Amino acid sequence: MTENEHVILTSPARTGKMMIIMLGICIVGGAIFFGMWDYWISQPPPVVAMMSGADDHGGAPAVATGKTITQDLKFVQTPDGFTDLAFNALTGEPGHNPTINAAVGDKIIFNVSNQDGGFHAFGVTADAEGFSGIVPGSEVASATAPLQKGESETSEFVPAEEGTYYYICTVPGHRELGMVGEIIVGPSEGPAEAAAPTGVSHDFTLNFVESEDGFSDLAFNALTGEEGHNPDLVVNSGDEVTITAANAGKGFHAFGVVAAPDDFNNALWGSEIASSSAPLKAGESGTTTFTAGAPGTYYYICTVPGHASLGMQGSFIVE
Amino acid sequence: MVLELQKPRPVWQIMFSTHHTDVGLLYLISSIAFLFMGGALALLIRAELFLPEAQLIADAMTFNRIFTVHGTTLIFLFLLPSASAVGNYFVPIMVRYKDMAYPKLNAIAFWMIPPGAALIWLGFADFTWYATPPYSIISAPGPAADMWIFGLKILGISSVLGAINFVVTILKCKHPDMSIGQVPLLAWAFLSSSLIVLVAIPTFAAALLMLLTDRLGVTGFFNPAMGGDPIAYAHLFWFTFHPEVYVLVIPAIGMMYEIIPRFSRKPIFSKSSGIFAFVLLSIVSFSSWAHHMYATGMSFTEKTVFMLGTLAAVPASGMHVFNFVATMWNGRIKFLTPMMWAIGGIALFFSAGAGGVANAAMPLDFTTHDTYWVVGHFHLFVMGTIAFGTIGFIYYMFPYVTGRMYNETMGKVHFILSFVGTVLVFFTQHVLGLYGMPRRIFDYPAIPEWIAMNQIATVGAMIIGVSMVIFLINLIHSSAKGKPADIHDPFGLGGKYYYPFESKNPHH
Repeated sequence: MTENEHVILTSPARTGKMMIIMLGICIVGGAIFFGMWDYWISQPPPVVAMMSGADDHGGAPAVATGKTITQDLKFVQTPDGFTDLAFNALTGEPGHNPTINAAVGDKIIFNVSNQDGGFHAFGVTADAEGFSGIVPGSEVASATAPLQKGESETSEFVPAEEGTYYYICTVPGHRELGMVGEIIVGPSEGPAEAAAPTGVSHDFTLNFVESEDGFSDLAFNALTGEEGHNPDLVVNSGDEVTITAANAGKGFHAFGVVAAPDDFNNALWGSEIASSSAPLKAGESGTTTFTAGAPGTYYYICTVPGHASLGMQGSFIVE
Repeated sequence: MVLELQKPRPVWQIMFSTHHTDVGLLYLISSIAFLFMGGALALLIRAELFLPEAQLIADAMTFNRIFTVHGTTLIFLFLLPSASAVGNYFVPIMVRYKDMAYPKLNAIAFWMIPPGAALIWLGFADFTWYATPPYSIISAPGPAADMWIFGLKILGISSVLGAINFVVTILKCKHPDMSIGQVPLLAWAFLSSSLIVLVAIPTFAAALLMLLTDRLGVTGFFNPAMGGDPIAYAHLFWFTFHPEVYVLVIPAIGMMYEIIPRFSRKPIFSKSSGIFAFVLLSIVSFSSWAHHMYATGMSFTEKTVFMLGTLAAVPASGMHVFNFVATMWNGRIKFLTPMMWAIGGIALFFSAGAGGVANAAMPLDFTTHDTYWVVGHFHLFVMGTIAFGTIGFIYYMFPYVTGRMYNETMGKVHFILSFVGTVLVFFTQHVLGLYGMPRRIFDYPAIPEWIAMNQIATVGAMIIGVSMVIFLINLIHSSAKGKPADIHDPFGLGGKYYYPFESKNPHH
């Protein structure tokens, strides 16, 4: 056999070259790696910005005015089930398909009930005909899983733009038979009944704090059970409020005063600091100054989706 | 080098060569490098868990990043490339062809690994190797998470290209005189595992794209807020990655099929049962993916089907073990390092398999799900079986690759320490799981039993760490200064066997 003559032994020089190449890659890579360690985890996924922004149906999110309109709606129909369908009362009777007047940002709550023998479903649309374009959140049941007789449900709708919307029965054909009413949306009235500027100013400092693991408890200033946990902020309507919020945790946070804790898209009065898509990173802080609007109980929250429900919310009381 | 073009060449020529042994060498060196990098992360994880509360690692997110990259590295950058290394060296020789079927494709498949690895290592994502949605969609910070997704995408394409190459080389380029039944078991292992790759990987490739578009907010496949279903991701992921377990283990078993007959100085007991078991394994590998998901609220019928599908892998695995034992029976076994690793690997394969059978029983799974039992179980497979087979085979290839012998004593010490360490870490973790310790946690309550078992596991891991340092020294020192090997019989086995560097058996 002659293969032995062809055997090439690995030489120390060659092993050395391999080691130099490998170590070189490790050193260069390691420098980039440790130098940019925090950069690589500095941006939230783009979908978060979209989820916290508007949906495609309603245009830009409305600034909540804090005003709530409650409307009871009842599906009614003639005994034969097809000659006339309507809400609340048949054609010609008082209370037939009531028209709702609202302003941009008002919250309209529908208590929908099915009292007749047919199947019905409910939704709000901007389309002048047909049963599509239902604004998410405004629907009750659906054409394939409709409300049965005697059932009732609640939904809500916050108009984002001026104009005319229609509340309809979303079962195909029912709208054309008369189950349709108008919602006329006027310009935003802004925070209702806000007092004139009082000239009084308040300064508050809030810290975003997190439990050790970063998710089991989130709060302002102190964790649940500790002193100073989510303090109540009390101001008078028309006062000038300055809030400084600092991120003392490790996650991303943003600040805003809202009408309801789960309404993290709609900060009131320009009270937001950063946003869920461009949040405060660990160690950063921000300041906002705004004028407190109409009296009522509001909430200051972390506007990053989900954080308020994990505990980052406190009462903001306007007297 | 021996398994090489018969002429010394400058390093850059080897790096940019398309010859199968050169590509094999690149695969081998990079996979060994990633073995040490991923292993170092494992030691960090174990050191952190030595005591409750945070010591070494600053916070939970850093811990998550470390174990995500630990898992991703060892699976995709050590186990898969090391199998490709062996395949590249041996498959063309075993089917008596001059090279792989598509040499350039082969080199491309390797050169996709460095960019993939760079994306994974630089980003250091934090959403586990499973990329758990919806966390990975709505919370995992970028660009690390996006880099991980692209890195895996690149590595997935690399695996598919490699698999195509192996299948074509074995089926279409084998010597015309050679029937498919005469193809050695190691090459059969690559044929079966490559076929699994071709069927399994596209699903995950699709899931990765869906994950990415979900992150971008374009789609909502796995995003519950947009009507998506994270469980769908679990199905897509495990449809790829349960078979992937077999993609990893089948080449390791093939390597044992090369080592065990040679060091037992007996022909393999039953080659046809080995082939049959490989084919059977690659089919039943697709019948068990949802056993990872018993706890997701599947119906009783589904759970029963997947339980039986999982148990269907037992006969095939048992055939391999019996084949090994029957081959060693009455053989004149020479206990050199590769043989010790192979036997250790079989013993741990059997233990891991026994744990797997217990775990496949769905009622028990509800107790063990997401506990350290699972960690112990799959690590016993990937470390105890697959890495043992692979490391044994690295020792076995060493004289053929470098022309020099490794240091036998260091090799044996490496094996003994690794074996003891592996048993300490992963057997203990099974028990720890039964005591209720959840996996993927960074801090744990100071329950005395948990502390004790975590400390045993950490000591075991450190023992493995020491053994791996010995391995590294052995590799570097012996490749430079080891004593030249007698290339016709480096292990002094005698007998009439053909040797891997020869394209055909000289005794025929």
